[in-house]
Amino acid sequence: MNAQPAATQDYKEPALLEVRDFQVELITDAGIIRAVDSVNFSIHRGETVTIIGESGSGKSTTAMGILRLLPDDLAVLSGTVLIDGVDVVAEPKAIDKVRGRTLALIPQDPMTALSPVHSIGSQLSEAIRIAGAASKDKDAVRARAIRLLEQVHIPTPEVQLKKYPHQLSGGMLQRVLIAIALASEPQLLVADEPTSALDVTVQAGILDLLLELQEQRGIGILMITHDLGVARLISDRIHVMKDGSFVESGDVQQVVEHPATEYTRNLLAAVPVLGPWDETPAGNTQPDAAAAAALTNTGASHD
Amino acid sequence: MSISDTATPAASAAQPSRAPSPSAVTKALVAKAGATRRRNAAKWKLRIGAVCTLVVIIPILLAQVLPLPDANHQDLSARRLAPLMDGHLFGTDQLGRDLLSRVLHGGQVSLTIGILAVVVSGAIGIILGAAAGYFGGWVDTVVSRVLEAQMSLPLLMMLLLVVALFGPSIPVITFVIAIAQWPEVARLTRSMVLVEREKPYVSAARILGLHRIQILIQHIIPNVIKQATLVVLLLLAQAVLLESALSFLGAGPQRPFATWGRIISDGQDYITTSWWMVTLPGLVIVLMVVGVNLLGDGLRDRPRRKKKGA
Amino acid sequence: MTNYILKRLGQGLLTVFLTVSTVFILIRLAPGDPAVSYAGPLATTEQLARVREQFGLDRPVLEQYWIFLQQLFTGNLGTSYSFQAPAMQVVSERMPYTLTLATAAILLTAVVAIPLGVWMARRPDTNRELGVNVLTIAGQSMPDFWTGIMLLTGFAVLIPLFPASGFATWGGLVLPTVTIAILQIALISRMVRREMTANFAAPYLTVARSRGVGGPALTWRYAMGNSAIPVFTALGTRFAAMLNGVVVVEVVFAWPGVGSLIVRALETRDYPLIQATVLLTSLLAVAVQLVIDLAYPLLDPRVRLGKAAAA
Repeated sequence: MNAQPAATQDYKEPALLEVRDFQVELITDAGIIRAVDSVNFSIHRGETVTIIGESGSGKSTTAMGILRLLPDDLAVLSGTVLIDGVDVVAEPKAIDKVRGRTLALIPQDPMTALSPVHSIGSQLSEAIRIAGAASKDKDAVRARAIRLLEQVHIPTPEVQLKKYPHQLSGGMLQRVLIAIALASEPQLLVADEPTSALDVTVQAGILDLLLELQEQRGIGILMITHDLGVARLISDRIHVMKDGSFVESGDVQQVVEHPATEYTRNLLAAVPVLGPWDETPAGNTQPDAAAAAALTNTGASHD
Repeated sequence: MSISDTATPAASAAQPSRAPSPSAVTKALVAKAGATRRRNAAKWKLRIGAVCTLVVIIPILLAQVLPLPDANHQDLSARRLAPLMDGHLFGTDQLGRDLLSRVLHGGQVSLTIGILAVVVSGAIGIILGAAAGYFGGWVDTVVSRVLEAQMSLPLLMMLLLVVALFGPSIPVITFVIAIAQWPEVARLTRSMVLVEREKPYVSAARILGLHRIQILIQHIIPNVIKQATLVVLLLLAQAVLLESALSFLGAGPQRPFATWGRIISDGQDYITTSWWMVTLPGLVIVLMVVGVNLLGDGLRDRPRRKKKGA
Repeated sequence: MTNYILKRLGQGLLTVFLTVSTVFILIRLAPGDPAVSYAGPLATTEQLARVREQFGLDRPVLEQYWIFLQQLFTGNLGTSYSFQAPAMQVVSERMPYTLTLATAAILLTAVVAIPLGVWMARRPDTNRELGVNVLTIAGQSMPDFWTGIMLLTGFAVLIPLFPASGFATWGGLVLPTVTIAILQIALISRMVRREMTANFAAPYLTVARSRGVGGPALTWRYAMGNSAIPVFTALGTRFAAMLNGVVVVEVVFAWPGVGSLIVRALETRDYPLIQATVLLTSLLAVAVQLVIDLAYPLLDPRVRLGKAAAA
């Protein structure tokens, strides 16, 4: 299982994430649903690859499937997912070694992503201890926790450590979650719609932070979004997903400027573009109608 | 796990191939899947529940038709006969009465009380709960306060008190059990109506100019009642248990027939010599209540809507 | 926080007051003459009149209620007809027995039901779990008086391991405790399963798993940490309810607690005793409820720190 990636570009080192013929089938009461249908892509160091699609297209399922976070009794995975050279589809146990170490997740809704009865500090320290990057010494863990919160630009980190999730805003919580993700010094970040639950102004800050961290550390990012503005801003490559498979893949510029399929054009027209980042919204003359068209294009809704 | 065996590495082209790839879902995986297990568990609960319930309820319903001795007919020459002797399937009690006949006729009374109590508590609970949820304001405050207060009352003690003071007649016991049970229905109905009230069809009906009470009765309650009836089975099980506890403590009806709790309490004195007088009526209660509870559980867990799928 | 406690205390005392008042009204509404049950069926009219005068039963109901309220606040509810002793004292002497039984039962319940519920939640709807699930349904479907008699026959008569009745030795505690616990274990373990299943599906658990948190920590620290509040509440409420008298089980095992006392008081229409029992048990139940309310902040930071977002 150590075949070289079939990528068109030249890369000196093997890919951080190599996904080949990846399939996710969900066994539900309504029958077997193929939520992800043989997708192929790879991510190298310092790259951001975006999967874009509307809700129900299977993009989040792809991310969760790669992390093996879908319940075993619901999802059947097949194909190959090489994380740092290890196939986590063939060896389900292998995922335990990469989660919280080389691989980290930034979840969709920060408001529900932290345990409400445990303090920020205790959940962050736990991540630090699992990663094993700092010594197990209490003060060292605390010092590292404070440093991580500083890195994600959280003011007065000492104070925040004692707080509980309900005391922080969504944007702050997402920063905490990014800090928790960073605790393990990951090489690959999976960001599952990291900004969709946040206000537009807060979104910009979070994306800014992700870009900054990527620049500093050369992390590979798998970005899941329905927002073309987000995709355009931070991606190297884009895969457009519909009904579980990629309908269009390619360089961000190429996909945005010369969309090859009707679906991508609808998506482009439907998604409003982030204000502060692009003053001239791209061709959203009839956003509502286009959104409706894009939404009715697919029947699948198994997210 | 045979996931990787079944995965066929397709030609890794730069563009995704559109040929449908084979499914990795095997029969074994489907059998182990959560959805399948849930469906099977619900199915088995329904089956076992139906069998247990019917085994008890059918003979009870047919008690008059079955060739049984009279439940109150005493025969001092046939006292405390063991089961299966002289045609007494469950044996006889200390006065020579046929135990099976007593259990079945007593069961008719128990079941009648249970069903009546559930109907009464269901009616009170749905009306008050719906009113509290729909109208809000002072109606809600009053109903919620009463619910809260009753939760903290020493319930069984109060029920015993009422029965002891007003006599163990069927209407009194039914009323007492209904009073014990209505809060559960009311709370459930209230919370469901609160959700239902915010739905678009309610504002649509309001825009059409329907009266508030008309909206509540014609539109909201029908939507809620289906879910509310699911708890009816569980309430029936509770009612039967509560009635048997009351009659065990001497607060059960005597006429026309002694109910299950009383039969067991009568047999208690003879437990060392005549085990069947307590054991068998108890097993009948357990069988029926288990059956009803399983039915309720199974109905709740059953997949909501069966779709035609692969 | 102090306001909250005071409010709960006020509500609790109001409930107690309403309860004893309801009992007062019920007693007066009921048909039958308590004087007859006190003096016996052979008493003469004169004797009955004397009894009525002695207990104030010949006065108008409102006046009786006024006297009752005065008694209530002085803590002296009169003399028990059947024990010929102050009613409050009779009940207080029985209270420790009920308290012992309820404590033992709730401890056994917690020790068994929580691990059992977690076990079920970790393998929902498998064959093994389905078997245990049906057993818990059976546990909540067995009438406790019947379970009690069965245990009594089995383990006190046929195999004489434990005493059949009363509380002469600690062994006497075993069978009544088990009888109560069977029902409570069934109810609580099913609740633990429900809560844990919901928490296993919660987003924060998936996120915790994504950062490499292992199985035991996911189960106990996260899922249990978040299920603890409702489970603790349920245990506390059940305990409070038991203090109102585990009537049936006390009767079956001739346990000298308030449960068997109230049955006797009802049989003999011993009104002062009924009132004293209702008053003391509901006061105790309110106290336990208050302790539960006080313990909430320890378990739930959202209660401790207020709901408002600080950032």
